[in-house]
Amino acid sequence: MIMQNNQPELPSGKDYWKSLDSLADTDGFKEWVSREFPEGASMLDGVQRRSFVKLMAASFGLAGLGMTGCRRPEQVILPYGKSPEELIPGVPAYYATSQPTSRGFQPLIVESHQGRPTKVEGNPSYLPNGGSTDVYSQASVLDLYDPDRAQGSFARETLKNGVNRWKKVSTDSVLDILDDEVSEGKVAVLVNRSHSLVRQSLQKKIASSGIQWFEHDAIDYTSAENKLGKALGLKKGLRAVPNLSTAKRVLSLDCDFLGNRESNELSNTRAFMSGRKVLNSADARKMNRLYIAESDLSRTGGVADHRLRVESSQMIGFASLVASELLSKIGHSDQSLKKHLKNLSSSTNSQKEWASEAVADLLSNPKKSVVLAGSHLPAEVQLLAYEMNRLLGSIGSTINYIEVGASADSILSLASKINNGSIERLFILGGNPVYQTKGFINWEDLSKKLKFAVRLGGSIDESSQIANYHLGQSHYLESWDLGTTWDQSFFVPVQPLIAPLFDTVSEASFLSHLVGEKNDDHGLVKNIHSEYSNGGDFEDFLRLGVLATKPVSFNSLDATKALLSIKPVEIKSSKLTEDNLEVVIIPDFHAHDGQYANNGWMQECPDPISKLTWDNALLISPVLANILESKHPGLGLLPKPTMLNKNGQIAPDAAQFDGGKQKAPIVTVNVGGKSITAPLYVQPGLADFSIIATIGYGRSHVGRVGRGTGYDVTPLLSGESLVLTGASLQPTGDFKILANVQEHWSMEGRAIVREANAEEYISDPGFASHMGAESHSPPMWGKDQNKSLQEKATTTPRGNSAYEHPDHTYEKSDVFGIHQWGMTIDLNQCTGCSACVVACQSENNIPVVGKDQVLRGREMHWIRLDRYFSSTARDGAEIPSDVQVSFQGVACMHCETAPCESVCPVNATVHDEEGLNAMAYNRCVGTRYCANNCPYKVRRFNFFDWNKRKTDELYQGPLGDKNDSSVDMGKNPDVTVRMRGVMEKCTYCVQRIQESKIRTKVNAQQKAKFESGKDGSGIQLSTQDLKVPDGTIKTACQQVCPSDAIVFGDISDPRSEVSKLKNNPRDYSVLGYLNTRPRTTFLAKVRNPNPKMPDFASSPHSAREYHDKAHPSHHGDEHGAH
Amino acid sequence: MRNIFPRWSNTVPLKLIVGLGMVGSVLVAGITYYATPKYTRVGYQPTQPVSYNHEFHAGELGIDCRYCHTGVDKSSHANIPGANVCMSCHQNVKSDSALLEPVRDSYYGEDANKDGKLSEGEDLNGDGILNAGPAIPWVRIHKAPDYVYFNHAIHVNRGISCVECHGRVDQMVEVHHDKHLSMAFCLDCHRNPEKALRPLDEVTNLSWEADLSDHSDPLIAQVHAGLELKENWGVNPPLSCTGCHR
Repeated sequence: MIMQNNQPELPSGKDYWKSLDSLADTDGFKEWVSREFPEGASMLDGVQRRSFVKLMAASFGLAGLGMTGCRRPEQVILPYGKSPEELIPGVPAYYATSQPTSRGFQPLIVESHQGRPTKVEGNPSYLPNGGSTDVYSQASVLDLYDPDRAQGSFARETLKNGVNRWKKVSTDSVLDILDDEVSEGKVAVLVNRSHSLVRQSLQKKIASSGIQWFEHDAIDYTSAENKLGKALGLKKGLRAVPNLSTAKRVLSLDCDFLGNRESNELSNTRAFMSGRKVLNSADARKMNRLYIAESDLSRTGGVADHRLRVESSQMIGFASLVASELLSKIGHSDQSLKKHLKNLSSSTNSQKEWASEAVADLLSNPKKSVVLAGSHLPAEVQLLAYEMNRLLGSIGSTINYIEVGASADSILSLASKINNGSIERLFILGGNPVYQTKGFINWEDLSKKLKFAVRLGGSIDESSQIANYHLGQSHYLESWDLGTTWDQSFFVPVQPLIAPLFDTVSEASFLSHLVGEKNDDHGLVKNIHSEYSNGGDFEDFLRLGVLATKPVSFNSLDATKALLSIKPVEIKSSKLTEDNLEVVIIPDFHAHDGQYANNGWMQECPDPISKLTWDNALLISPVLANILESKHPGLGLLPKPTMLNKNGQIAPDAAQFDGGKQKAPIVTVNVGGKSITAPLYVQPGLADFSIIATIGYGRSHVGRVGRGTGYDVTPLLSGESLVLTGASLQPTGDFKILANVQEHWSMEGRAIVREANAEEYISDPGFASHMGAESHSPPMWGKDQNKSLQEKATTTPRGNSAYEHPDHTYEKSDVFGIHQWGMTIDLNQCTGCSACVVACQSENNIPVVGKDQVLRGREMHWIRLDRYFSSTARDGAEIPSDVQVSFQGVACMHCETAPCESVCPVNATVHDEEGLNAMAYNRCVGTRYCANNCPYKVRRFNFFDWNKRKTDELYQGPLGDKNDSSVDMGKNPDVTVRMRGVMEKCTYCVQRIQESKIRTKVNAQQKAKFESGKDGSGIQLSTQDLKVPDGTIKTACQQVCPSDAIVFGDISDPRSEVSKLKNNPRDYSVLGYLNTRPRTTFLAKVRNPNPKMPDFASSPHSAREYHDKAHPSHHGDEHGAH
Repeated sequence: MRNIFPRWSNTVPLKLIVGLGMVGSVLVAGITYYATPKYTRVGYQPTQPVSYNHEFHAGELGIDCRYCHTGVDKSSHANIPGANVCMSCHQNVKSDSALLEPVRDSYYGEDANKDGKLSEGEDLNGDGILNAGPAIPWVRIHKAPDYVYFNHAIHVNRGISCVECHGRVDQMVEVHHDKHLSMAFCLDCHRNPEKALRPLDEVTNLSWEADLSDHSDPLIAQVHAGLELKENWGVNPPLSCTGCHR
């Protein structure tokens, strides 16, 4: 044993690689990872020494002046004149509401502190989401306090140089002008799509009053249902609502059903991932399996067991191939259809084996398999997916089709009507159509033909520029509305938590004003509710936040005839090459469709796959990158390994670097006469000739956060498909630095994420404990190895260590904890949605630092989502095209023997009696020793007063301007806002723990007092009475997680959920061999590949790589050589 | 070259040491006395906008603390009452007192004729609601630093009296800062809660003392009573940072 311990894992192994650089093993990267903080994080640049001294002198001067204010500042307490009922200062109130989005109303519970909404949570009464929220809902509360919001209404004045100036006017005065204009006639309303019933009822009245109605969304989530309905010859849309909790086999055709490209993200994630919860071998046998064919590497693709790279424009051929395989396997009688499909799929021979085996697997699970098609794909694919589901018997079991209303007139018909003069007055509500459609609508010309235009929007944006007036729109937390969830199974209210902060108007009030009713939005919602609820109580509806209803389900229909009408000539698009590329336009992770471009939390939350912040990029495949590199040397897309040439000189690295950051070459993309310029970024896992572009960035009229970020893809849009072909790339010779957190926090060459296939797991459930250096070393706990989890947590046995550990047993310590907190993160459940990152930011007052500081590695997220790639075969610097993706959320592990604590000179970080690694900000002097000594790199340092100063004036220190105070209203009052010079990190949401403990104790004492009816002196309260019941405390990241990957609780209680999971054989500690004894442990990932598939591997790539490196002798010399 | 330094210079080092020592001691003593909460906080007695008399209301009349500070057993804050609480008595008692002018202003606000209903000409800001008047700007006396999360509910419900931190408010005409409330003050009690624990129905009785019965010293009597309560209730106050700092 001791001999083995002499050979710990060497970091030379590349069992995981996180970035192209680390794969390439460049010298720069090696130096970079060897530093405690990544590049620039601990260097004071950007300020000259001279100016620094000047600044310091000035600040000392100011400090001297400040000393005169040594006296205690006088503070006043302002109580209510008439206290509102049920409001207790210091106790947060929770209200049920929902966020209206283009993906349906998201049911929410919002926390309010003395009338200020601070934190958004999912409404657990809406069972499909189980109380989870997506990343956008989490970030939406920041928009309420955005200082760049339209703080009222404005009249436009155009100066001589064409610049627009906005003069503040009262909202009422604009509404009065509007009344006159409406009576003139030729009026149209342009809105973004909504699922509001209030709007629906007003829409009817508006139509009857002669006002025309148009809808537009850049990312149209309803397009699939409209295409399908039309293809089947129906007058309605046909919405596919998957029911994935019963699905055993899923085939996704370019359908990102777990991500932001499709609706129903949360309930899909919750249902689908519940079929991947593996606690024992029986679960592993029942595990579901996901096949996906896609062009982009989506989060869904990251979860998939089998992934095929197919360009989106080739999807009709591929879907036909799958369908024809299905028809022949079930012995379908219609020969003409078979022949037709064969014809359609003629160009996809290389994918035949993959498709054939996948179909066989779908068929082996009758009624428990489902085929999903991406909403951006053409009607043909929607039709094929529908027909396959029908033939598989999935309709009614794993997928439901519900009837929805047909879509409204499009923006193109609006443009032509303005052109021919039949519309002269336009009201633009919500969305941002001018930005999104400028690629195919000439708004400059149109605006000249308009006599009057009003924009109702949250902020003054591109669409405001053509309007005479901008009306400030109330945030959803300030307005009333009522709508349905995406699956149309529930009505949900939008209930305001705060009166409008500014002179703004809600959409419902505005529309009601248009039809001359002038109802307030509250009355409208009340009326709609009584209409739909059969006399149910309105207050009850608001309290529960949901009201069940029944969607109109669709009885299946044979689609053979419709399928036969697909013309092969149309789809036989020319073969894609480097001169005939396809551009796939998808919603951006950060900005979505542009809505969140001014949201700092979203801008800084790294894209789950590319890990970019504050920017978007054109993603291309490594194959295309190689071709470009050979055509245009010096592009620097692909870093090469640094090696010595024959003369002993270091060969130059092909990649372009600046300040340790790889520069992204800027290229021009030409599609059908339109072009944009944008930076390129190489992304493994992409289809060879796809360019992935995201919409939502490059906004010209946006607040201070979004200004100057990203490139604008909208000039390429045509108003039809979001998949464009015939594109070509031409480098401009310029470069741009992208703030990528991908290379940060690298944990190179060790068994960090542990994985196995289901088969391997069944034969060896404890596979995770046979990986990593600790499997080679003597057991961490020495002679105490076999003690129970509870004993280990409370006594912290020394094992064979020479150091004393604190003893927290009741008998041995006068300071004992009645709980011992711990957490598990199930890597099998994580889809990388990143909602936890923003939830933590919202709960814990984590600041936004800006792109410049992210480039210096100073982002402040307490929980980060590491994304690892692994691949089949790799050869030197060759970037693989087929990768497996693993996500791992990493926050402070609350090590029992924490390395950070022993190096703190001022005891600012110490352990508490319940096993929390505490961080006392007021003690911290900012030595940063703790961060240096943390093996998990989870500590974050406040290099500046992020919360207090503007991000662009950080370097001016105390002389810089203060931040807008409106943002402070959204801060959580239960958490300290940290100042410059202190370290911070995950606290396990200690504020929630303490609140729950206090509530439990207070309740226990009051209950006992009430029951005894005496002065309480004789009351006996046991430890059990004072313990917080399991499941009461949910950390912010846990509460938001749609797949329940994170479980938190008391590990000294053997019956708690977290104790049970920690006793699961899949449980392991990251870097456990360091004897840090982390309280956060991980449950190893289990994949479920099909052995018959052509791309089957008996082990996950990462596991095979690990074993190759850890046991080279087992595999012969060729593996051991490097 | 023998006498570079004059003779008196021989004593300079000694004088320096003594002098520096004295300056040092004075500095240390000065800071300990003047710059700690015992000096900076205790005795702070700002003038309040309304001369509310705690001695009269809480002492003489015997109004319970929780009649006004309603949130004290439910919330982390012990709230200052709204004007409506004052007016629940003062609508009838001393309803015309000039001293209560700010209270009436705050309570009635736009309600000029004081009938509780929106009448003609009362809706000054035109929002359709009868708005309350300006809040009474009570000056804050007790203030924990921003990084300290003190919770009133847990203390009051677990048998810690108001008097432990706020002193005999029932004997103060005008409230002043009575205890220094430094971290040492908190920790003293958290280490030895038996010195402060008392039966639950005596929490707001500021004059309560433990039954002397067979003890001669009131402190010993308190500790005996407190130890019993501590044992019975499982009182185990946190001593680590996370108890108060979040």
